[in-house]
Amino acid sequence: MKENIQKFVLSFLISLLMSSVLTGGAEAHALIKSSEPVINGVVHDSKIAVFLHFNSRIDQSRSKLVLYKPDSTNITLPIQPENRPEIISSFAKDLTAGNYRLRWQVLSVDGHITRGDIPFSVKP
Amino acid sequence: MSLLLDIFGFLSVVLRGLILTTQSFTLGGIGFLALLAVPFSSQLGADGQHIIRQSLVFLRYATFALILATLSALAINTAVLIGTLELSFVDAMSAGFARTNIIIILLSCLILLLSRYPLSKGRSVVLAALGISFLLAQISATHAVGRLGTRWHLLTADFLHMLGAAIWIGGLPYFLIALNRIKDGVLWRLVGKRYSLMSMTSVGLIVTGGTVMAFSYIGSVDAAYGTAYGIMTMTKVLLLFILLFLGGMNFLTVEGLRKDPSTSILRMRRFAEVEIGIGLTVLFAAASLTSLPPGEDLTQDRVSLYEIADRMTPQWPPRLVSPGHDALAIPMLEARIAEAKTENIAAPLAFVPGEGLAPPRNASDIAWSEYNHHWAGIFVLLIGFLALIEHARWGRWARHWPVVFLGMAGFLFFRSDPEVWPLGDIGFFESLRDPEVVQHRFFVILITLFGVFEWRVRTGKIAQPKAALVFPLITALGGMFMLTHSHAIANLKDQLLIEMSHVPLALSGIIAGWARWLEIRLDGRASRIASWVWPIGFILVGLILLIYREA
Repeated sequence: MKENIQKFVLSFLISLLMSSVLTGGAEAHALIKSSEPVINGVVHDSKIAVFLHFNSRIDQSRSKLVLYKPDSTNITLPIQPENRPEIISSFAKDLTAGNYRLRWQVLSVDGHITRGDIPFSVKP
Repeated sequence: MSLLLDIFGFLSVVLRGLILTTQSFTLGGIGFLALLAVPFSSQLGADGQHIIRQSLVFLRYATFALILATLSALAINTAVLIGTLELSFVDAMSAGFARTNIIIILLSCLILLLSRYPLSKGRSVVLAALGISFLLAQISATHAVGRLGTRWHLLTADFLHMLGAAIWIGGLPYFLIALNRIKDGVLWRLVGKRYSLMSMTSVGLIVTGGTVMAFSYIGSVDAAYGTAYGIMTMTKVLLLFILLFLGGMNFLTVEGLRKDPSTSILRMRRFAEVEIGIGLTVLFAAASLTSLPPGEDLTQDRVSLYEIADRMTPQWPPRLVSPGHDALAIPMLEARIAEAKTENIAAPLAFVPGEGLAPPRNASDIAWSEYNHHWAGIFVLLIGFLALIEHARWGRWARHWPVVFLGMAGFLFFRSDPEVWPLGDIGFFESLRDPEVVQHRFFVILITLFGVFEWRVRTGKIAQPKAALVFPLITALGGMFMLTHSHAIANLKDQLLIEMSHVPLALSGIIAGWARWLEIRLDGRASRIASWVWPIGFILVGLILLIYREA
């Protein structure tokens, strides 16, 4: 019996490794339905409102927005309180011309962690 | 932390699969005890008491594994939250999913505690109440709770779906315990009839819950075939049909016992074993569904029927000539970096293996991958044909077919990672810093060991009958995990089209594996039928690989 269990565990591990070979990156299921700024969009102001609309309920207090600037530095944007559970909002100011990347990470209420990027550029 | 993030998605799916499996065995055990073993204990006599004791032992193992799997999922999710959000431990542990998991662990501990004591009717009712509470907590970790708008119908559907799966699939090991213990045809029928009734009710719950969820989460025919969520759901439905076929055959055996109590139940026992295996596959497919956005939410970039037909149209002849190594994207990029260095200009960004980014690909990379798949197809076809030839009186020599695995391992050794030794510029030891390369190398070693092991089994050098079961188990489990692997969250068309060709591969592997299992475990006509089915399954895998396309 003990030998059988060992064989089963061995088989299981082998299969796990077989599948790992075919495995890609991380995924989860909170998706952005719409955003401001839009992906690859152009904004013409030094101050912008950030607004992300997701397809599911989000734990806003355990989500994060980080803005990567053209000079490769980054700042964490403050998340504003929102009544609607599928919305994350914030703002960014003192933007200068160049290419930016907004990295978002959210925890959906069913426990999935999702992250993604919204690249955009500023042309005052 | 970066390594954890790299494997986090896959790890989450595997842990979710383990949680669904152990949860089903835990709840299935409670259902079996409360609905069958305890009510029939007096009719089953001493065997009844033995079945209850054995069932409680299995229930304890299942519940313990459930606690471990839930704790692991909680630890990993919490670590990622703390690592990426710089939260305190208390903040992370007060998140909704963490609270749910803590409740689930506490309820599981109570079930574990209760299952240590002899079971009375009263205790079985308490166990059942704990099981229902557990399931109510578990639906807080499903898609349903995160949906916008009205959720009660989705929560109810999820509850019914999981309950049905637990009683039917999760109850199977306990059913086998009972079948193996009882030696009397009349009692077999008593147990078989009650379990059939429980299973049929469960199928009703599964189909009802599944239909509500399919309409809500998929929503349209386009999404059913055009999104990863839809494809995985259809795969689950196909597997359900296989399970229903096996369950239906078992029902016929139970009916046969009514007419003739001396009817053999060997087939019923073996089919129940296969039902457990395919049931686990369904649970892992369900786990991979929880990592996907519902098809209804993905309105962009769905795959059209035309694109599917175009991709699935066989490419003939297969690509048996490889593109040159220098034409691949990474060697070309490396050449450009070297050139840029000599000219002292800003170099383009290079791909760093293992950092979790998709590597750059060009037409030669696609040709390289197709060539690999097509040659792998030839190896697998050869295995299938040799296994068929082995049936013939003159074909005894073909029993050496596991040797083909060694050829396949050698092929993978050279071809799986073109950027590293022996074909690429990255040295052998240097390449071991990349987890993916390590996995591939380990995989090559395992295929070699597996080939040698099965070869020794086929040639009688390993005489233990149970050793022969390793091959079908690995084949079926490989197919199962193939269904569980990476999915395209954002409906990336190319990834989705590649996935579509992996689904029939996985299904053929699963069928081949379990058919071989039945050939070994059954006797007579059923075993002979199974002995023809599994080589055909391998031939199908080989043919699908041979016509595989990535563009």
